[in-house]
Amino acid sequence: MNLESAVRISEMILAFAVAQQSLEHIRSLHPEKNVGVIRLLLALFLMAGFFPVFVEAGLLVIACWYLYRFQGPYNGGSDAMTILVLLCLFLSHVAPTRFWQEIALGYLAFQLSFSYFQSGYIKIINADWRSGHALQDVFNITAYPLSNSIRQWGQSLRLMFAMSWIVIVFELLFPLAILNYYALLVALIIAAIFHLANACLFGLNRFFWIWPSAYPIILWFQGRLIAS
Amino acid sequence: MLKLLLPILFPSWRFFSSIGPSPRIHYAFLKHEDDHPESWNEFRPKPEKISFKQSMCNLFHNPTWNETLYINTCAERLFESYSEMREREIMRRLLNFISANKIAIKPDWKYVVYRISAIMREGQVVTQQVTFISKPGMISSIVDKDMV
Repeated sequence: MNLESAVRISEMILAFAVAQQSLEHIRSLHPEKNVGVIRLLLALFLMAGFFPVFVEAGLLVIACWYLYRFQGPYNGGSDAMTILVLLCLFLSHVAPTRFWQEIALGYLAFQLSFSYFQSGYIKIINADWRSGHALQDVFNITAYPLSNSIRQWGQSLRLMFAMSWIVIVFELLFPLAILNYYALLVALIIAAIFHLANACLFGLNRFFWIWPSAYPIILWFQGRLIAS
Repeated sequence: MLKLLLPILFPSWRFFSSIGPSPRIHYAFLKHEDDHPESWNEFRPKPEKISFKQSMCNLFHNPTWNETLYINTCAERLFESYSEMREREIMRRLLNFISANKIAIKPDWKYVVYRISAIMREGQVVTQQVTFISKPGMISSIVDKDMV
């Protein structure tokens, strides 16, 4: 995948994710409700490829406003990834040379890969995660499970142990997939399934849309890395 | 602003690094501002089950749940230290919830108050402790039309 195609596909997925988030804000309270309408319009412009550099600049201003309004991200990691993708794509447009364009997108590819690796690393060094007890607490104690029947999953320590290790091994191995195009494709499909499971079990639907917006960039990055 | 932006530009992806106290929010109605609550109601109790169709719909649009996650974030910040902004954010959304869900409110209920409990595991024991009780919020300003 060449750089231009990766940026364009990434922008289209990002635009969909931003539109999805904006529609949810429109159902919320003032003043984020009104800002959500403007954000939705900008997302539609971005999807259409209409002056992406200006649209992304506008979306970045709104992102800063939301950060100030909520004194941090409204929706944790998904908001952080939204701003990061937006910023790196914006920088790739305004970069003075190809080199800086590649640095901006390379940073996004690094952060995507690191998001999985670091998440796996902090789990494997934690005894509670290795035993399955931490995931059991996620199901039993935290407010994340979407329903009482999902909360019941936490009753089985064996299931929690198996799920913990599947996630830990996948997250730790993810960066290695960059060494091979097809391995990376498989890793990204597994990652998307992982986000889908998180959306269905814990309601983290925004993660499911925003993380894949960086996938075209890491696919470009893999080709660029191997070519060099 | 830089303090808010830096963690985004150089993010830490330490999802669920440790499972800390988890908030549960309950609300109660009061006749007078200085009354003591008689009974507490759970804020947005979880459904027993969610159908496959509903799960797929939630994938595209789930504003209520994402607002609940934001409210939980506010509550977790209140565990750490008091913040008037966080207290107000929860109250605004609670009043909106009461209004939107058409909860029957007796005419002499003028105020609503909420409490935050922290659920945590200590060894093999799960404990629940009330850590915060809000200042009463006036119902009339938001839900006049829903009074019964």
